[in-house]
Amino acid sequence: MNRTWYAPRRLLSYLLVAGIAVTALFPLAWMAISGFKGQNEVLRTPFQFFPDVWRLDNYRLILEDPPFVRAMVITFVGAVIFTVASLVVNSMAAYAFARLEFAGKRWWWLVCITPMFVPAMAILLTSFVVVSKLGMLDTLAVLIIPGVASSAQMFFLRQFYLNMPAAVEEAALIDGATRWQIFLQIFVPQSLGPFVVVGIASFLGYWNSYVWPVLVISNPDLTQIMQYLATFRSARGNEWGMLMAGSTLAALPTILLVLIFQRYIVNGVRLAGIK
Amino acid sequence: MIDTSTQPTGQATEAIDPSGTSRRRRGRRAKFTEEVPRHLRAHLTAYLMITPMVVLLGIFVVWPLVYAFYLSFFEMSFYKDAEFVGFDFYKYVLTDPEFYESLLVGLKLALMVVPTILVLALLLASFLATLSKRMAAFMKTTVYVPAVVSSVVAAIIFVFIYQDEGFANWFIGLFGQGPLAWLNTASTALPAVAVPAIWLGFGVSTLIMLAGILDIPESYFESARLDGANFWQRTRYITIPSLRNVILFLLVSGLTLTIQEFQLPLVMTNGGPVNATNTPNLYIFNSFRDATPYATSYSLTAALLLFIVIGTISLVIFRVVSSEKSSDA
Repeated sequence: MNRTWYAPRRLLSYLLVAGIAVTALFPLAWMAISGFKGQNEVLRTPFQFFPDVWRLDNYRLILEDPPFVRAMVITFVGAVIFTVASLVVNSMAAYAFARLEFAGKRWWWLVCITPMFVPAMAILLTSFVVVSKLGMLDTLAVLIIPGVASSAQMFFLRQFYLNMPAAVEEAALIDGATRWQIFLQIFVPQSLGPFVVVGIASFLGYWNSYVWPVLVISNPDLTQIMQYLATFRSARGNEWGMLMAGSTLAALPTILLVLIFQRYIVNGVRLAGIK
Repeated sequence: MIDTSTQPTGQATEAIDPSGTSRRRRGRRAKFTEEVPRHLRAHLTAYLMITPMVVLLGIFVVWPLVYAFYLSFFEMSFYKDAEFVGFDFYKYVLTDPEFYESLLVGLKLALMVVPTILVLALLLASFLATLSKRMAAFMKTTVYVPAVVSSVVAAIIFVFIYQDEGFANWFIGLFGQGPLAWLNTASTALPAVAVPAIWLGFGVSTLIMLAGILDIPESYFESARLDGANFWQRTRYITIPSLRNVILFLLVSGLTLTIQEFQLPLVMTNGGPVNATNTPNLYIFNSFRDATPYATSYSLTAALLLFIVIGTISLVIFRVVSSEKSSDA
């Protein structure tokens, strides 16, 4: 009885896999495919998934649109700087809290971890006041600097450093290495996995952010990609195919990131140790 | 039969990860027993290492937070100096029906989104755990992809899906249901916002549950299967009890995050129709943008009150999760 039960079971699981994948990816597929549709095809009765004729016009037009390209480039540059800066700031603090003893450590720990519990909305307005008093409005800096220090990421990296064996560190100390050398030459090279996890989180956070740019950026040269998309309709009217093409291209970097680093992301869930 | 197989849960969880636990244990012990010699204590290095973090958090989190509390005690005005009004704004917020209405909307949204995600994630994770390595890897990536899509892009996609000529109406049309104005009808707007929220959120929850399920010793499922337990019985008596902490974590963090959701309704409906999708943070955000100083003070106070509630909840989760961790280490 088992045998007859198992063969259809495998078929069933393939069908389920296909079904789940199609359902999960349907909205994205619809978006990407709508980018190939003509002007009046995106919204048309009866609903149609594929275009009558596949055209590249929308993708070509949006890539020839200087504000779109500028938004993509400037957001990408910002996201890369943001990610690197976050890794530097958060991993240094994580190392210090995990492996070093210093006066007032408990107190500084509280200072660095409490922000994890402050929702963005509670400080949104006053953060705006602060950055405008600092004269940072409409600069790349205002998009990058305020979010660089992240308590959650620091906490995550510290957990990882706490679990690293002490033996190598002790041996290096006996050999006369400084803490900086130990951090840079022993800890950082071994942190690839966790760095990828928090690095992707930083990149996504920056790339996908919308509300903060809306508040602090009015200079069109610095418009972020999500800002561009959200205002597309008022700026460009009913060019739905182009909007779909633009949204697809804007989602592409994040999806590529996942595909490239998929191995690390799945491990990251375990590294986070939520279980 | 099934009950006996669930009993050894406690012991066996300790038995399965000797490698992980012992490594961690050794690390801890070394750290605590090792008397750090005075000359090795690294005050200066440590301070240099935490300085960027402390300075940035100080300027961009602590200062705005203190400033927000300070401002919430003042009434600002274009015409005169800010006036100290004590707890007046707190009183206004706490007696304002619109604030409670928005809280109710947030709560309803959370009740639609979080249980759906949990059930979906549990089913998907249970299924993924049965797949071959290559299949599982493919599926893990697939369910994770929607999680990296931005709220703005998701909102744009779903606005189109909900149009008169969109996919949603075509789909219900297959069952003979008439086209709905999804985002313009008070009763359907909030569920319509919940769907993209679920779509964006289920992937991460699934991966977290999967990690939990893979930690349950396979022998439990084997013996349950030998005893003739079906999928539902195995889920009910083995998977769910073993994942208690994971589920609790996902439940509470999901609730706090979803109550704070506002980018989806901001782009999709801007709170309408008749405030049906006006979540607390959207309500607060739109009052921020309202240029009158009174609205600013008001919404600032509302945001702080929300923060106190949500911050307390997340602090409790954090405590639970990290105490869990220290007890097994």
